[in-house]
Amino acid sequence: MIFLQGLLIFIALAAVAVSLYIKFKGDCWFEFLVDQRTPFTPVELKDNYIVFSCQVPFINKGTQDGTLIDVHLRTLLPHEYYDKVDVDGRLHNADDPRGDHYWESVIIPYGTGGAAVLNVKLTAVDGNIRAALAEMVDLPMYIVFEVVGRRPIVVYKNYLVMPQEETRTAAEKIQAA
Amino acid sequence: MDDYELLPVRTRVLTHRDNIVEAIANYAKDKVTDQDVLCIAESVVAITQQRYIRPQELTPGWLARTMCYFVPQQGSLSSCYGMQAAIEKEGALRFVLAMLCGMVAKVFGISGVFYKLAGPTAALIDDVTGTMPPYDKHIVFGPLDADVIAEEITRRLGCYGAVVADVNDLKRSLIVGASPGVDRAKAAYMLIHNPFGNASQKTPIVIIKNYARAAAKQAG
Repeated sequence: MIFLQGLLIFIALAAVAVSLYIKFKGDCWFEFLVDQRTPFTPVELKDNYIVFSCQVPFINKGTQDGTLIDVHLRTLLPHEYYDKVDVDGRLHNADDPRGDHYWESVIIPYGTGGAAVLNVKLTAVDGNIRAALAEMVDLPMYIVFEVVGRRPIVVYKNYLVMPQEETRTAAEKIQAA
Repeated sequence: MDDYELLPVRTRVLTHRDNIVEAIANYAKDKVTDQDVLCIAESVVAITQQRYIRPQELTPGWLARTMCYFVPQQGSLSSCYGMQAAIEKEGALRFVLAMLCGMVAKVFGISGVFYKLAGPTAALIDDVTGTMPPYDKHIVFGPLDADVIAEEITRRLGCYGAVVADVNDLKRSLIVGASPGVDRAKAAYMLIHNPFGNASQKTPIVIIKNYARAAAKQAG
């Protein structure tokens, strides 16, 4: 009986020790620093479309290395809000520029980070991008990222906006040129 | 052993739709002689055998979620998915006992005991990011019947021999399977500098040219 009690106490203490060890170790914690992004600037212009680009840094603020399994851009421009452009938003890893917009899974050591390059293509519905840009509205979007570290996979979203001031400024510069 | 040469062979990405022996014949048959040993990366063999799984298809249990914390971060078992995949292949009891023995051995300064006792899956599994796209988002297991594959390659190509190898840039070189007549230790030594390169170089095949002559010279 005493042996059994001792065994149970040992198991309980071991469970507490393991729990504390896991809690102490922690996990990865990613954040896309949308407030530190670069301005959206035009990188390609045709009569019917324009491509804006910006970089958004990210960091693993956790205590463990983590893997960004997949990252993608989700733009939110319903026709009820603005129907003069179609939007195609994509991103890639700044350290892994590739033309296919594929995000290759990457391990980010804790305390370090990188950057994502966002490309937003606005195509004028009526074929005149200059006119469409002149009335462009704020364009909300999410950076959606799938993360795994020690704990199970989690999908997070960080919100940012491509403000109308930046697109309209670009439009004014284009008109002036 | 300095009479041999290493010849990496570039291929397209080999997938689960490929027959590994025929794919190798397609890319390397005209490059090998009866003096050469053909080496193929183990993860590519495993992929052609459909030995991979998406982590999202796994449900990590409490054992995997706990034990992964006791594996160094660089290891493929450091995520609960890699650990769960390996536990499902090798058995929970085996893993628990291997981990306990590994911990005790570590106290006495002996490392590697866990991987020896936990079974081949633990040593060969590649977690997410371990393989080139499009398999970078998958967990890839080690290949099955690596010796048999090596023998089939040897027969099909008429080369001196073949090996299935697990090699990386950290100077790890392990022969997972070999055809008869190939000295595993010698082949591992020849591949130690990872002539397969990184995944994006797409060279999963390496030919050890003049292996037979170099090995005979060393033996003689």
